[in-house]
Amino acid sequence: MSPDLNITFAALADPTRRAILARLASGEASVTELAEPFEMSLPAISKHLKVLERAGLIARGREAQWRPCRLAAGPLKDAADWLDHYRRFWDESFDRLEDYLRELQKKDENNGKK
Amino acid sequence: MAKNSTDTATTGPELVITRIFDAPRRIVFKAWSEPEHLMRWWGPHGFTCPVCEMDFRVGGRWRFCMRSPEGNEEWQQGVYREIVEPERIVFSYAFEDVNGVSGLSGWKPGHQTTVTVNFADHEGNKTKLTVHQTNFDTVAVRDDHVRGWNEALDHLADYVVSDSAKS
Repeated sequence: MSPDLNITFAALADPTRRAILARLASGEASVTELAEPFEMSLPAISKHLKVLERAGLIARGREAQWRPCRLAAGPLKDAADWLDHYRRFWDESFDRLEDYLRELQKKDENNGKK
Repeated sequence: MAKNSTDTATTGPELVITRIFDAPRRIVFKAWSEPEHLMRWWGPHGFTCPVCEMDFRVGGRWRFCMRSPEGNEEWQQGVYREIVEPERIVFSYAFEDVNGVSGLSGWKPGHQTTVTVNFADHEGNKTKLTVHQTNFDTVAVRDDHVRGWNEALDHLADYVVSDSAKS
């Protein structure tokens, strides 16, 4: 359903593209509107939009002249899920490791291994 | 920083997690390098690790089974890339089955990540543990260490979650 996470993360790795996504989080916009905050030519912005589009992060309208861009949720959520999954995995494993180390240390001392 | 909480930072497409453990690093390293110890703590709360095979040497394979409280099993495996006792362990890490417990969409079976675990002495008898996990194959992505990536992604994820809740 969604493109490879690598493609999503590659698209997200660029600050301009993240700024574009952040802008689109508040509603759809035209290329000209998206280009406004950047010192960048329209073709340069279009290139970024193509990367985002290929990663499935944005969708573009069909209207001939101003093809409005909007955020597409799926891959972004996958990327966030990926990080959340591992954050939780390590965080909770470390809680358990903390408890276990206490036990392990006691055993270690009892073995007279000073 | 809070003493017992985990610091999580995401810089670029990688996850960095740091925690201080109140044990000397010899012990902490042992908990990572011997299966009878590792199986006691690997996995989120309520999970068990019924199978823990590890050939703890460079080039050696590891394979763990994680069982959820509901009894679902998820297999993880990889290869040890670097071992420096008691300082560092580097290994590859992949899920075997996309339909595992984590239920991660967008995840491909066999998709490799690399995990680097660093053990450092901290305030005498404590250990500062840092886990660094990267997901990416392409050099372009790996070399991009942009700050603020985490906030941007969190912000967008909030938006996405609220947005999908609406529709």
